[in-house]
Amino acid sequence: MAATTTPRAGARTGPARRAPRIRVTPGSAVLYAVAAACALLWLAPLLWAVATSVKPEAETTAVPVRWLTDNPTTQAYASVLARGDLLRWMANSAIISVLVTALTLVLCVLAAYGFAKCRFPGRGWLFAVVVAGILVPPQVLIVPLFAQMGLMGLVDTYWGIALPQVVAPVMVFVLKRFFDGIPAAYEDAARMDGAGPLRVLWSVVLPMSRPVLAAVGIFTFVGAWNNFLWPFVATTDPAMMTLPVGLGTVQGAYGLQYAQTMAAAVISALPLLVVFLFFQRQIVSGIAGVGIKG
Amino acid sequence: MTTRTSTEDARAPSLPEPPGGTAPRRPASWTGLWFVLPFVACYALFLVWPTLTGLGYSLTDQSLSGAPAGFVGLANWQEALADPNVWSSLRNTLVFTALSVPPLVLVGLGMALLTDRARRLGWFLRFAFFAPFVLPVAVVTLIWVWIYQPGIGLINGTLAALGLGEVNWLTDERFAMLSVVATTTWWTAGFNYLLYLAALQGIPREVHEAAALDGAGSWQRLRGVTLPLLRRTTALVLVLQLVASLKVFDQMYLMTIGLPDAATRPIIQYVYESGFTGFRIGYASAVSYLFFAVVIVASIVQFRLFSRKED
Amino acid sequence: MRRAAGTPPSPSRRSLLAGTLAAAGLGLAGCGPADSVLDDRTRLRQWNLFTGGDGARMVEMHERYTAEHPDIDFRPTTYLWGDPFYTKFAMGAAGGRASDIATLHLSRLANMAPGRLIDPIDEGALAEAGISGEVLPPDIWERCFVDGALYAVPLDTHVVVTYYNREVCRSAGVLDAGGRLVETRGVAEFVDLLTEVKAVTGEFGTVLDTTNPWQYFWAMYRQQDGRMVFGDDDFEMDDDKALAALDVLRRLSEEGLAPRSSDAPGTPPNFANGRGGLGLMGNWEIPTFETAGMDFSVTQFPDLFGNHRTRGDSHVYVLPHQRERDPEVTAAAVEYAAWMLRNSLTWAGGGHIPAYRPVVESEEYLAMRPQSEYREAAGNVELDPDIWFSGSAARLSTEATAVFSGLHQGTTTPEESLTRFKDAVRALVRVPAPI
Repeated sequence: MAATTTPRAGARTGPARRAPRIRVTPGSAVLYAVAAACALLWLAPLLWAVATSVKPEAETTAVPVRWLTDNPTTQAYASVLARGDLLRWMANSAIISVLVTALTLVLCVLAAYGFAKCRFPGRGWLFAVVVAGILVPPQVLIVPLFAQMGLMGLVDTYWGIALPQVVAPVMVFVLKRFFDGIPAAYEDAARMDGAGPLRVLWSVVLPMSRPVLAAVGIFTFVGAWNNFLWPFVATTDPAMMTLPVGLGTVQGAYGLQYAQTMAAAVISALPLLVVFLFFQRQIVSGIAGVGIKG
Repeated sequence: MTTRTSTEDARAPSLPEPPGGTAPRRPASWTGLWFVLPFVACYALFLVWPTLTGLGYSLTDQSLSGAPAGFVGLANWQEALADPNVWSSLRNTLVFTALSVPPLVLVGLGMALLTDRARRLGWFLRFAFFAPFVLPVAVVTLIWVWIYQPGIGLINGTLAALGLGEVNWLTDERFAMLSVVATTTWWTAGFNYLLYLAALQGIPREVHEAAALDGAGSWQRLRGVTLPLLRRTTALVLVLQLVASLKVFDQMYLMTIGLPDAATRPIIQYVYESGFTGFRIGYASAVSYLFFAVVIVASIVQFRLFSRKED
Repeated sequence: MRRAAGTPPSPSRRSLLAGTLAAAGLGLAGCGPADSVLDDRTRLRQWNLFTGGDGARMVEMHERYTAEHPDIDFRPTTYLWGDPFYTKFAMGAAGGRASDIATLHLSRLANMAPGRLIDPIDEGALAEAGISGEVLPPDIWERCFVDGALYAVPLDTHVVVTYYNREVCRSAGVLDAGGRLVETRGVAEFVDLLTEVKAVTGEFGTVLDTTNPWQYFWAMYRQQDGRMVFGDDDFEMDDDKALAALDVLRRLSEEGLAPRSSDAPGTPPNFANGRGGLGLMGNWEIPTFETAGMDFSVTQFPDLFGNHRTRGDSHVYVLPHQRERDPEVTAAAVEYAAWMLRNSLTWAGGGHIPAYRPVVESEEYLAMRPQSEYREAAGNVELDPDIWFSGSAARLSTEATAVFSGLHQGTTTPEESLTRFKDAVRALVRVPAPI
């Protein structure tokens, strides 16, 4: 595409030789066919959910199984949306994910900066203690943490769901490693101009750290949006549940109505799928970035 | 250690080094503590504290019902070590891990290799292979429970159309675990896929071209060049995947909820059941710690293997 | 607190930020969902565990309740039956923000920590709403009290009953002149009856749920006056009576009179499609067969050991514990429970026997078929033994199921399964009671 005309990209990838090879060899035709088939197979469950969701309820259990209906309808979507709780759970998920992401970024950036760029008594062992926290699986803590939330009166509250998720030692670790790599000269220059540490962080370090901040933010948001176990433990009131928890525990109107169940699944899948469609590159590099560094 | 001595050094002479000096290291001060304090406070409150209280609860008969609790010594630990349900659920977790890690890694690798080669489809392939990973777990299980449905589900329906027999994917003990593994592979292989893809795209094209000039076919290039270059990524993927698989709960619980669950009950679910269904906070804490020990052992073993590979 | 020169007074800014977040958070945490703030109706949250035919009846009743109570913002939630429901119930009550009213099995009342996880009900307020011991079955009402305080309001009793396919039974000649299943006494007569029915269906005499043998065992054990007496670290039961009951389970499957394997969701279809002429199932399956358009009726659980005692339970309303109880909401909750009892004729449509006497004695109820055919069963109901690990969907029945289902499958003997059952119960007895 456009890359072929820019000399820099051309020098690196050598497109003059590569592009025609793809077009001609029969091997690449097979390769593309296999790749497309695999991708379709991988999408099949999602497509099947969509296909089921637009069937009239009576047709969903028809034998033999058919992919397409002759009478597509949005009835199932209308019924699911009319119940309202799905949208409430989605709103709860949004509130909690934003809260978790914002708090994680603020807390972890401050902490990582403190560990990377400031020297204070006890820094070494404090950082070691924080990093050791990476070894503690959150799953181990559900029972004592629930008891603690009970004592603090935070069961069935947004804070109760969000706060334990904010403690992400991995993110401190990832951010610190990035901050470590920022040459001190930049900060020293700012400090000469009389900037304090917070100022240096805000106007020197953070602007240079956009990719890692985006990565941490995206990783945290996706994680919080899809987190199941802790929100599942921390909520019993359906009005406070997040999307995965509400969908997974509250029964009822959907019952054995597969079109409605799949409509609910499709609606619930949409927000992040749409975000993923538009921000694929950022999400891919963000998640791969944190995954590799963490 | 070094931090502390340098502070003392700085404090002993009343007027230390000049502030304008271009020392490579800044003087120690308490400022940094203010930066780490908010995080450390949350960390202490929501990670360290429950870790300690959990240990404390495991020595009591603390109940969810709030009945007065008393110190019971190691009774919970003794009971847990002798509880067949602890061992069977731990075994389920380990079986799940053993069954799920290979496909999760290999499928991720396969998809990444395909995407790396079929670059013209890159955007579509990335979407298709990674999309399941962004789905909430309940969406995944709703879809797959429906797909596994006897009689009318997609798989059994297709089997029937081909004239093959039905399988009770989720209710038959022989298949339930495999079904959960298959669903998990579909759901989360995308993560490993991304890590592999990032690594593959970091391999300079010249490496391939040099191999091609030497007359290596594409299979030989894969075996002789690509896979060896991916060794570090594979180690990383294995480490992350192993720990992730050990922590399995969500999809197993949601897919086999209400079914005879002994065959697919992971250890975390047993913790949940002991503590919340059975009210026994103290006992569940002890079981949690047994699981914690398993994770730690797995991490240490991995760390050793991993760091050896790094050398 | 001494800081290096040149450090800005940053903590103040941070604490401002933290303060803002905390304030926003308190706003989020303090109240319920945002939309209820603007609503001046009383918000009444109800939790239940009905997903089948009875769930449909409850939805129907709730629609009427909502229509008649415009001042109440009524919010029912259904959880999956069994452990998922009970776990949420307990955790919600432990957290102090549980629903305003919830359903429960009476057999689970004692092990749900009344007084801690369940709040007492004001008898006076309930009586004002028209509900008292005088209009309810005495045995059931008695079990609603713990340490002298009222904790539950019974909505119904529900029991294991005998369904019979009239077409099949007519061909087998086991219907009386009135078209009812002939009475049998004792195991031998029942087996004879099943043998005749089997000859017609060509497959089974009766279908039953082989994944829940506890219910049949307990019915037959109680028919013989068998007891389970629990001590501190052991318990006693009558081996001969237990073996007699277990042997019936073995025999029915071994002689092909009942299936070897038939799970809970699979059992009703087995009856509906005629694989068995009889069915030993809970009375809540009635809507299933009505929907299927079957010609069927229902009678009490068979008299195998001298009477018609049967395993059963009662759905009750309770007030889950709340840290801050709003008297207005509590009053609405009690009034709601009373309303549901008074209108439980609809509930009877789902197969359960209403607890509210004016309904069971009403002409409308007597005219309901097959419901009124087994109403005496309410007097023969046997709740699970009174111990913390017992009750509907509790450990005792799951342990029993794990052991006894082998009798149907033919993989164990009554003696062997009883030994294993007693070992399992003994282990449960030794578990420190968490209540």
